[in-house]
Amino acid sequence: MSTFASRNAFDPADVQGNILRGYHYGRVRHLILEVHHAAAARRWLGQCVSGHPDAPQITTEEHWTTRPASCFNIGLTYFGLKGLGASKASLASFPTEFKAGMAGRSVKLGDIGESAPNYWAEPFDDPSKVQLIASIHADDLVELDRVEQQVVNAGSGAAFILHTARDGWNFDTDHVHFGYKDSISQPRFIGVHDPDNHADGQPQAPIGSMLIGYPTEYQGIRYNIPQPDVLGRNGAFNAFRILAQDVAAFEAYLDTAADELLDHPLSEELLALGAEASFGPDVSRREAMREIVAAKMCGRWRNGVPLALSPTTPNPEHEVSLTNFNYEDNDATGCPYGAHLRRANPREAAIVQRAARHTRRLVRRGVPYGKAFDPAKPDNEERGLLGNFICASLGGQFEALMCDWINLGLEDPQITGSNDPILGANFRETSWFHIPLKSGKNINLQGFPRFISTRGGAYTFLPGIPAIRYLASL
Amino acid sequence: MSGNSSWMNSLVNRMATSKFFNYLAGHVLVPYWAWRTPVYAQHGGPRATIPPGDNMQRMMNLILPLKDKTAVGRAKAALAIASNLDEIYAGLDNVGTVHFARFVIIENNMCMISSYDGDFSNYIRDFVAQLGTVFDSVVALIEGGDDMIPTKENIDAFINWVHDRDVYQIPDTATDLLRYGTIGHSAAKADGPDDLRLMPRALILQLHKNPNSLLGSGYRGYPGLSVAQIRHKMGLGW
Amino acid sequence: MDEQDMPQRLVDAVIADFPDHAPGTRPAHTIGLGVTGYFRGSPIARDYCIAEHFQGHNVPVTVRFSNSSGSPVQHDGWSDARGMATRFHLQDDQATDLIAMTLREFFSPTPEDFLEFSKEARPRPVKPDPWWRKILDMLQLKPPNPDPYPGQNESGAPGSLDYANHHRSAQLAALDAAMLGAPVSYARATYNAVHTFIITAPDKTKRYVRFFWQPVAGVEVTDPTAPPVDDYLQGELRERLRDWPAEFLLLMAVGEGGDPLLDPTQAWPLHRSRVVMGMLKLIEIPADQETFCEKMSYNPGRMTRGLEMSDDPVLAARAQAYEVSRKMRGGSPCPFSKG
Repeated sequence: MSTFASRNAFDPADVQGNILRGYHYGRVRHLILEVHHAAAARRWLGQCVSGHPDAPQITTEEHWTTRPASCFNIGLTYFGLKGLGASKASLASFPTEFKAGMAGRSVKLGDIGESAPNYWAEPFDDPSKVQLIASIHADDLVELDRVEQQVVNAGSGAAFILHTARDGWNFDTDHVHFGYKDSISQPRFIGVHDPDNHADGQPQAPIGSMLIGYPTEYQGIRYNIPQPDVLGRNGAFNAFRILAQDVAAFEAYLDTAADELLDHPLSEELLALGAEASFGPDVSRREAMREIVAAKMCGRWRNGVPLALSPTTPNPEHEVSLTNFNYEDNDATGCPYGAHLRRANPREAAIVQRAARHTRRLVRRGVPYGKAFDPAKPDNEERGLLGNFICASLGGQFEALMCDWINLGLEDPQITGSNDPILGANFRETSWFHIPLKSGKNINLQGFPRFISTRGGAYTFLPGIPAIRYLASL
Repeated sequence: MSGNSSWMNSLVNRMATSKFFNYLAGHVLVPYWAWRTPVYAQHGGPRATIPPGDNMQRMMNLILPLKDKTAVGRAKAALAIASNLDEIYAGLDNVGTVHFARFVIIENNMCMISSYDGDFSNYIRDFVAQLGTVFDSVVALIEGGDDMIPTKENIDAFINWVHDRDVYQIPDTATDLLRYGTIGHSAAKADGPDDLRLMPRALILQLHKNPNSLLGSGYRGYPGLSVAQIRHKMGLGW
Repeated sequence: MDEQDMPQRLVDAVIADFPDHAPGTRPAHTIGLGVTGYFRGSPIARDYCIAEHFQGHNVPVTVRFSNSSGSPVQHDGWSDARGMATRFHLQDDQATDLIAMTLREFFSPTPEDFLEFSKEARPRPVKPDPWWRKILDMLQLKPPNPDPYPGQNESGAPGSLDYANHHRSAQLAALDAAMLGAPVSYARATYNAVHTFIITAPDKTKRYVRFFWQPVAGVEVTDPTAPPVDDYLQGELRERLRDWPAEFLLLMAVGEGGDPLLDPTQAWPLHRSRVVMGMLKLIEIPADQETFCEKMSYNPGRMTRGLEMSDDPVLAARAQAYEVSRKMRGGSPCPFSKG
């Protein structure tokens, strides 16, 4: 038994269920609530962890044999903890970035220009109103409505003000806007049963990289436990983000880049003559080149096949693993150094900040929102992703990833100074993305705009079950 | 400039640089205006911005007052560094983003001065992960440092503690002085009116709050490059 | 109002700022000196830009140094902006210009704003502030307004300051202007081209850049406490060039995402990538100043292959306004062209 495993012991009944595993329901609804009547809100929280028939029960990490009709979880912002009556000393013991809130850390996250918090949708433009985010996962709207009603009825309707409800749905199984298959790979944890158990060529993460109070991947470093201990332990932090995706701009850029690349003297290094046949029946060279651009920017083909295992076609002759790959020998002729996937998680590839290796891993749980984009009938409706980025330290993981790697690109000198081509805070005038080729040359893509903008969000604390009882007892 | 008041005018002009006025300004006017128009003490270190060039070769200037202000105390600090060179060199190499780092004792302050790429918290967190015990032995010699030990188990608090001791950086863009830090004035108002002639006072009041400061963001001989980019391009590996 | 009128209105606005402006002379930067020499692109300049003058061979240049005022009266010793306009003479009678000045930024982000600004910046009568106001200022830790120069009855400075207090876009330029001083030599000042240009590299990479000239002799200004001298800059340069060429390094800052690329009122942070694009050697002052200086008309929009104007609206407006001004005073676009 490794040292981590021996120090990893936690009781699944103490931990909210949305941290270490995905629920895989078709729909999600996030209720954005403000505490109206603190005592009523506290009482309701107690009901949520004590089997009260009229209150939705918080889903825990406990193993289930039959899947419930819905799962229910809550996150609290700094203002939420304050609104519930947490003591000054307790509030002060939370990490700086959590106290500042997502809006307060906007520049670090690349939330600038039209993504700046003052342009966020209500109520996110006034962070003091975003106090409790209650998330309902279910397969159908009737169940979402039923649980929402339970929340609205809390404290005879007096506990909370419901500012907005944000619905997400998997409109096309696991595909998200921009057409990529998503929800493929998540960190696996030492000592935590993983039903999927996909090998992924990476060390398993210690539980302390997600849950507060355990050893982390950083040797010897423990993130501070918010006080009192019962409140902080077994909790996690979450960056909830509403990320609007500009599908029309993205598809238009694929056109532009494909045309540019077909004209490029090195185009055959990217797409050998006739190779488009492997992309599917009747796929033109231009269509194949569009898919190459989409794949190079992401690190996966849109069908999920990783470039690292299938560098030239989305349809490899022999089936490849979607998760078990690496960036061997620091090679980037398959997956570029700057591809989204590789920036966000360089796996075993060399990184500049060796001390930080594997310390910035996140659990990502995102569900799309908005209607699927129809290229035949382009519209300007907002669509995107309701993302949850979960970790034990927002500063050490989520923010570190966003400000050093997604933007800036410090992890490899060959991408330093550029931003993530898909998620980055890009500007048309200055954006660049290198596609390294086998010949040792690079093709440089330029002129792409920011494709993903922030419409709202909040840093939340996902308290453990004893912590919810503690808050209820205040 | 004829006229009856011209002698008075030249007298007043001379007064501006007189010892008397300097004394009055420093000892009476500054405290008065600091009370009348208070400003926030701005945080140390560079401000967060998005352009990559702003995030390379950022400057850290930590001023850490030694507890023991005798030669013995200074020697202890010198020894804490000298006896841990392997730890410090390996640690800085593994942090990967540090251009230069040096430790200097000035007037019974242990000063840690470095130039680094990327985010300050990430730099400090990685550094502590690499050499927490060395940090502990240094921090033990510093006023107000005891609560931080062991630094590895107080990482969030320690990063804040270090940040608070990084000196204030006067902005290169002078008008930033008017925009930020004035309590209940200007920053909240979308567009003026301002009084540009109050710029010197804005600087004075900020330096009243922040006695130590870095004057501007500092000169760089090859701006915009990270450590690893230089090592990569010069064939040194990274 | 008619968009078409804008260039003419800009020229008229500048002329109106200098009541003693002499018709047929330049509306601003009226007093100047033409100098010739050559520019040589640095060995790496060609990796950034395919323009002819960056290919590494000597390119003849004509430079005009100037004081910024549109008045025919010379005040070299007053604190004010100086200009350095450079014409690169390319093959086949082609040319490109680089117009630079000692301020790091402009007062206005748009031509419309510039009209407003120049209205405000018209010279007002000035006299020393009364002594009691100076004392009041000092008690507020506010530096008293400097006394006018001997013989100075009017100044645009109070209007500019007033405008800047109400228009944040003008503030950096106003502060910069207040601290400029007077250079000891035209060859000892840094000149900024202010606007953003787009350069094309051999691999078609485009970059948003700003150029500036740095004097190899170093930057130095006159003693601000000494009485200003009205006429020394041209003599100093003649003297200097008798012994040595005057050298300027052409530096190029590369803009980044988040920088004010199209806003000339905002200088870029000092730590943008700074590329050495070449060296200018100024060798002689042609005797025929009429041809090489007074009749020559520079234009910030005179581009060449590999060098484009950005969408900075002031740059576009200036390019048109310079053309209007040239026609008004009968200047020639290029001394070597037959036109």
